Amino acid sequence: MRVLRRFAHWIRSRGHRTELDDELAFHREMVERDLVSRGWTPDSARVAARRAMGNETLSREEARSVWVWWWLDALRQDAAYTVRSLRKSPGFTAAVVLTLALGLGANAAMFAVVDRILFRAPPRMIDPASAHRTYLYRTSEGIEAERSGQYVRYTDLARWTSSFSHIAAVEERALPVGTGDATRELPIGIVTASFFAFFDAPPALGRYFTPAEDTPPVGAAVAVLTDAAWKTRYGGRRDVIGSPITIGPTRFTIIGVAPSGFAGLWPERPPAAFIPVTAFGPMDGASTWWSSYGHAIGITTIVRRKAGVSVAAATADLTTALRRSYQHQIDVEEPSAGLTLASLRPRAVVASILSERGPEASSFSRVALWLSGVALIVLLIACANVANLLLARSLQRRREIAVRIALGVSRARLTSQLILEGVLLAILAGVAGVVSAAWTSSAMQRVFLPNDVSPAVLTDPRTIALAIAIALVVGIATGIVPALQTGRRSLTADLKAGAREGTYQHARLRGALLIAQGALSVLLLVGAGLFVRSLRNVRHVPLGYDAKPVLVVDLNMRGVALDSARLAALDERLLSASLGMAGVEHATLMKTTPFEGIMSTALFVAGIDSVDRLGEFDLNGVSPDYFATMGTRILRGRGFVPADGPRSAPVMIVGASMARALWPHVDPIGKCVRLAVADAPCTTVVGVAQDVHMHSVGDESGYYFYYLPAAQMTPDNTGLFVRGRDPAQLAAPLRSRLQTEMPGASYVTVRPLSEVVGDQQRSWEVGAEAFSALGALALGMAALGLYSVIAYGVVQRKHELGVRLALGARGADITRLVVGESLRVALLGLAIGAGASLGAAHWIAPLLFEESPHDPVVFGLTGLVLIAAAIAASWLPARRAARMDPTTALQAG
Amino acid sequence: MQTAAELLPGTLDLIVLRTLVRGPMHGYGIAQRVKEISKDVLHVGESSLYPALQRLLLDGYVKAEWGASENNRRARFYTLTAAGRRQLATEREEFERIIGAIHAVLRFA
Repeated sequence: MRVLRRFAHWIRSRGHRTELDDELAFHREMVERDLVSRGWTPDSARVAARRAMGNETLSREEARSVWVWWWLDALRQDAAYTVRSLRKSPGFTAAVVLTLALGLGANAAMFAVVDRILFRAPPRMIDPASAHRTYLYRTSEGIEAERSGQYVRYTDLARWTSSFSHIAAVEERALPVGTGDATRELPIGIVTASFFAFFDAPPALGRYFTPAEDTPPVGAAVAVLTDAAWKTRYGGRRDVIGSPITIGPTRFTIIGVAPSGFAGLWPERPPAAFIPVTAFGPMDGASTWWSSYGHAIGITTIVRRKAGVSVAAATADLTTALRRSYQHQIDVEEPSAGLTLASLRPRAVVASILSERGPEASSFSRVALWLSGVALIVLLIACANVANLLLARSLQRRREIAVRIALGVSRARLTSQLILEGVLLAILAGVAGVVSAAWTSSAMQRVFLPNDVSPAVLTDPRTIALAIAIALVVGIATGIVPALQTGRRSLTADLKAGAREGTYQHARLRGALLIAQGALSVLLLVGAGLFVRSLRNVRHVPLGYDAKPVLVVDLNMRGVALDSARLAALDERLLSASLGMAGVEHATLMKTTPFEGIMSTALFVAGIDSVDRLGEFDLNGVSPDYFATMGTRILRGRGFVPADGPRSAPVMIVGASMARALWPHVDPIGKCVRLAVADAPCTTVVGVAQDVHMHSVGDESGYYFYYLPAAQMTPDNTGLFVRGRDPAQLAAPLRSRLQTEMPGASYVTVRPLSEVVGDQQRSWEVGAEAFSALGALALGMAALGLYSVIAYGVVQRKHELGVRLALGARGADITRLVVGESLRVALLGLAIGAGASLGAAHWIAPLLFEESPHDPVVFGLTGLVLIAAAIAASWLPARRAARMDPTTALQAG
Repeated sequence: MQTAAELLPGTLDLIVLRTLVRGPMHGYGIAQRVKEISKDVLHVGESSLYPALQRLLLDGYVKAEWGASENNRRARFYTLTAAGRRQLATEREEFERIIGAIHAVLRFA
């Protein structure tokens, strides 16, 4: 009760103050009236009443002090004081808030990304700490690799483990949804019926599928829509239950809708629907998909530990079950293959439910963590900057502070006020930072999590909480620096001091902060330089084909089975339909797309014992127009011609390095290669093409490539490459046109080849962009910090500089003096930063592309940039100092 | 005019509460009443009266309302609350006990 009353009082304390004033005034009046009634004159009565009342202010203060907590009151006073003084210097306030906002914003944005990848459990999951993804390893030819994905393995593990209360198999895969022209590939959650029990997510409509519906060999064709798909594709209609939806080749019936926010394990790419594993398994037609160890359907097993079972015990239990499963596999399926448990060394790992925290994490999380570190450095620079500005300001205010100390303010109170100033500024900056983070992070998310459905920064309590926490820490840390400085000073010296003396000695701490900023900027700029050069290197790799003008057409037959004559006819129709379109220059059939798939067969060449031992030989089956379509040059001999048909002599074209590997110093044209088996008929080399990158943009030594005429191979249904004048404009009409040729439920997709190539360059792109942006930010902040400190120093040294000018120093001398000081700081920062960069080199080296982490060009340019920034930052104050009139300067001092 | 120093320490609250038993009163009225009743022996100064009233407000023993004074001026009237009455009884008992003890000591020691 007391506390509530006290609090209510505090809330409307201004009202209470006037009430108290009124009350005391009334009292005085009454005393006065009393005296008058006893015969005093009004004037003397007033004086007497006032005297009788004593110190009214004291009465009032004492009456008031009953109510307020002194410290709360002090805090409010200090806050009001701080707000007043910050309002008086809007430039300073803006500089501090902006600097911190940029630093905080970068961190909030990075946190939002890292949090999603590494920390945030899947939405609506029950007790994520006891839920795990499992990884199943086995060793083959001395190499241990993760091998899971068989349904039978999952049932084995479910049967032979005892540590788990729940076990489910899951997979998310893009599958064609819809029919005909409306067909789109959408992510689909392929799960066992047991999956939903991992979540607290009762269906919003209808029901989930049951174990009875999820039974091999063919499960029920029932689907549960996610909330997002229900709303966007079905307009949230309640009568959607019971309506059909075609997924893959199968017509499913919708039996339920999942609640909003539920996206299974895939919030970063929410599925459109969930279907039973046993309805997905038979889609490719194999009837033993569920019982054969040779048939992997890409599923992962997830488990929930029983209460009281440790992770180690669960791992041991799962490993035992996995060994038993492999033993069963050896006994039943491959008794003759000579496999033993001892050589397979099956090993299971029970890891975090978040795949990026598991043993098979992608490089994504590594890049994201790197960038978080970089963002932290930017924040450090911002802090150093702000500490410097606060320090400069507190030095400006040292007389004011000395006066306050002389009047009896306690050091503790003074310190708390300075820290409060820092905190207040940091909170302002935090608000600005979160707003700016909302922009930055939408950019970050486009890079890292393009389809994420998690809340945006502005509405995400975790990110906001982190921003507030950082703001408070930063505020206290930056506020404490000037507070420490005031603590050390002598009161009398400060009271006596004019602007003229004593101030310059405090420059050492500020100098150190500046050097630290410079050093950190160098670190980031070097990083930016290395990534930009890597990206340039990656982009300048001659791929051996043109990515920009080429579109990739993929055919998805979706269960439509055609005999080879019909397939060949379809290929021909698609090819001529493509060529018939306006804007199409060339088109070719193909069997593999760069970086995405490989095709190979055994090669036999006279005079070579084992071609296989020379390296990996991959091929593509193409039309005569292939080389014109891709822009790959034929170096010797000829390309394919329409005459290279199924009934003419088999021919091939080899890559330049393949020719060198197989027939060093000999003309390869006319050589005979036997494909697949040693006694196959000769395939004659008719041409040599330039080398191409098909596996990676990096080094491809040991990889060789050759081409066969598609017409001389078994027809299939992979796809086409189409070269257009304006591929961006061409993609949509091309898809529509080709779709009309597709039989049944089959369909085509069209995408630019540059997208495929771009994916290969993406990690360097991300690194270059993020490092450059953050590096520029850091440099800007460091330059601003340098400028403010130099400018401040010039004002402080006005008197000294005036004396120099009066004694005959020329303007140029003064300029040199001021700029020189800035340069000294920059050079020291440069030296330290360069040293640190060299020290960090071996960590960053694996992330670069054909770029030495010691690249002298990068270091040289960074040095130049920093020196230029130092000169630019000090130029204005230096000119101002040089143009100073010595007389006024001396008088003013 | 002397202030609370003349009162026995700790008795001001008791006196204010007792004064308010007769009905709502403003600060000046309380001071006057104490003066009258004690035949000018006890003086309650403003610098202790108003803090005391604020303390009693905070503790919930009195409540305050603005009203018109006898000469139609706006004044703040204090009223005893139920909690205030209970507190008065407790404090009074305690006071009697101590005064009795002091008397006893003065008489027989």
